[in-house]
Amino acid sequence: MLIVDACRLAWPDFETLYALEAPSGSMLAIVGPSGGGKTTLLSMIAGFETPVSGRLAFDGRDLLPLSPAERPVAMMFQDNNLFAHLTAAQNVALGIRPSLRLAEADRARVAEALAAVDLAGLEARRPEQLSGGQRQRVALARALVSRKPLLLLDEPFGALDPGLRREMIAIVDDLRRARGITVLITIHTPEDVLDRADALAFVARGRVLVQDAPRAALDPTRDPAIAAFVGHAAPAKS
Amino acid sequence: MRRAPGRRLPHPGALVALALAVLAAAAFGALIAAAQDRPSVLALDAYLRRILVFSLAQAALSTVLSLALGAALALALARRRFPGRGLALAALGAAAVMPAIVVVFSVVAVYGRSGWLAVGLEATGLTLRPDPFGWPGILLAHVFLNAALATRVYLDALSRAPAEHWRLAAILGFGARATFAHLDRPILMRETPGLAGLVFLLCFTSFAIVLTLGGGPGKATLEVAIFSALRVELDFARAAMLAGVQLAICLSLTLVLHWAVTRAPVVPTERLPIARPDAGDPRLRRLDRAVLALGGALVLPILAATLEGAAALPRVFDRDLAHAATTSVAIALVSAVLACAMAIALAGAAQAARSRRRGRLAAAYDVLPALVLAIPPFALTAGLFLLLRGRVGPTQAGFLLLPLVNAIGALPFAYRFLAPALATSAERHGRLAALLGLTGLRRIAIVDWPVLRRPLAGAFAFAAALSFGDFGIVALFGGTELRTVPYLLYERLGAYRLDEAAAIGLLLVAAAFALSAFATRMARC
Repeated sequence: MLIVDACRLAWPDFETLYALEAPSGSMLAIVGPSGGGKTTLLSMIAGFETPVSGRLAFDGRDLLPLSPAERPVAMMFQDNNLFAHLTAAQNVALGIRPSLRLAEADRARVAEALAAVDLAGLEARRPEQLSGGQRQRVALARALVSRKPLLLLDEPFGALDPGLRREMIAIVDDLRRARGITVLITIHTPEDVLDRADALAFVARGRVLVQDAPRAALDPTRDPAIAAFVGHAAPAKS
Repeated sequence: MRRAPGRRLPHPGALVALALAVLAAAAFGALIAAAQDRPSVLALDAYLRRILVFSLAQAALSTVLSLALGAALALALARRRFPGRGLALAALGAAAVMPAIVVVFSVVAVYGRSGWLAVGLEATGLTLRPDPFGWPGILLAHVFLNAALATRVYLDALSRAPAEHWRLAAILGFGARATFAHLDRPILMRETPGLAGLVFLLCFTSFAIVLTLGGGPGKATLEVAIFSALRVELDFARAAMLAGVQLAICLSLTLVLHWAVTRAPVVPTERLPIARPDAGDPRLRRLDRAVLALGGALVLPILAATLEGAAALPRVFDRDLAHAATTSVAIALVSAVLACAMAIALAGAAQAARSRRRGRLAAAYDVLPALVLAIPPFALTAGLFLLLRGRVGPTQAGFLLLPLVNAIGALPFAYRFLAPALATSAERHGRLAALLGLTGLRRIAIVDWPVLRRPLAGAFAFAAALSFGDFGIVALFGGTELRTVPYLLYERLGAYRLDEAAAIGLLLVAAAFALSAFATRMARC
């Protein structure tokens, strides 16, 4: 269970107070307007931002004293997930050992992870020789080999076409079911995850306004911010 | 202003490209025509072989040392935050734009026979007599200028690393070694070919430093040899031959580098920077301290030596200086205007070619400003002077040719400021402008000007700084009737009025630093 309890971060012009829970092995979609604090929430869980007060724990372990590398966290962004001078296999291998000095068993794990995201045979390609969707799958394979139980996805598929986006979300969902990973995903298009996510948190003004089952959480009567958000999203849904 | 389809006026950039080609061809033609009387000297003699070897060797060594020190300093400055870091960056900025003739003066003031180092050594009882003339002085001056330049280029590139990569490094637990291997080294490697080519060209064609610190007939660059062929031996044939050799070497290097350097596009993000994971490594901390100390030991004394001129400042404000300053300012203004106009025309032509999907033509426009760096300014000047001879006197020719040749010298730098801005403007608003039917001057006023204003101010200031501090072809024309401020400094040096030379040097450094600091601020937007 991931527990975010009254985590306060403060800047001169922005303040957050986050509270949410996600059972281990679940997928939580994080939705809300731009600048509302979705990315900041993930940054805090990953350890790039330190709350001035509050509690952050995963499976009974306090995360706040831990550095990003010590936390049980893997992360993926919309862009720049891969290092351009390394091959796909080497980019994945970074998740095991940053020095890239791999034992035979490690090499097998890299191959297995690439196969799990349907990239077997593309080990030697460099990022510029891969499509956008393939690059994101390499990043996903790296998250898998790192064996971190909490996967944070920050708008990971925002640059992909709708069809490809859903395909990628299906891959993520299958992997988390197969391996029991907990997934937090921020997303601009909640309709892509309505049937996959266990819960949806609506984040605006630095707060989690609602956390509920995906469809229920997007009920426009629950908050004007949700109404405004869904109002914009409505034409895309039909 | 609607034009009939199919009948297209040539782009102003095409005219600029044509004019540059015609100028270079005419200058070389005139030199070769003048050489007809004495074809016997067109042989590759022992002297030429010797200066070629020296030029290549000193340029190669200067480049390696400058880039190594520049990379180490850039990494240390990227890893460390310390009080005075801003001042260190400002000092590097000042060093990178210091006029070469002032660097020479300061090197002698610090490392000369009666310089600071000699005085310091004597005080400790050592009888070593430092001698900066020849190899040590040339290397010192070149590394001083170009390590500062390399540090700035590398540091700028390091700071543009995607913010996501630093977050991944933190999550994946990169140590100092992995941080260097996966974040810093690829960035440094990407910048190195272009930077090495530029520094090598600057050192290979170095004039003022080698002329004054060479200290022997064999210690010359081709540029110095061209100068002495023109001014001392009045041997145009020899000058043309030397210029041809230099042009061939520089052109091939520029072209090879241009096609070799490709940049992977990086997706920019607006994430905030986070702390580097290698900042805490104790071995790196010691290394960075040593590198910063070394950089300080190289840069600070030479910079500080310019301040020695402060004492003699009141004595140099005379009619000569006022006259020289007026001349220098006028030349700097005209050449900056010319350089910016040429750069905008060429960048506009490249952009127009790109929007018509004529990538090769666009690439040709992009490489042209770099190519002009390969034209030896003395050869260009001498050729054009031969064409003007008989129509105008030497002084008038100087007034005509100085701004023109300085503008051509500043063109690659102005282009670097302006071309990205024009490309951004086209990317952001190009289609919209086309849709609204905005063309010509109206398009420039509404679409390009807001984006171009700041880089233009930057390019203008930088070009003016280059021209103002330049001691190059003015050495051909300089005399009682035509004096620029750097020429005045050269005269005072020759007359051993060292304190006055120091004062003039201080003024030159102040002007160059002010202009380039302004240019940097403008370029940053």
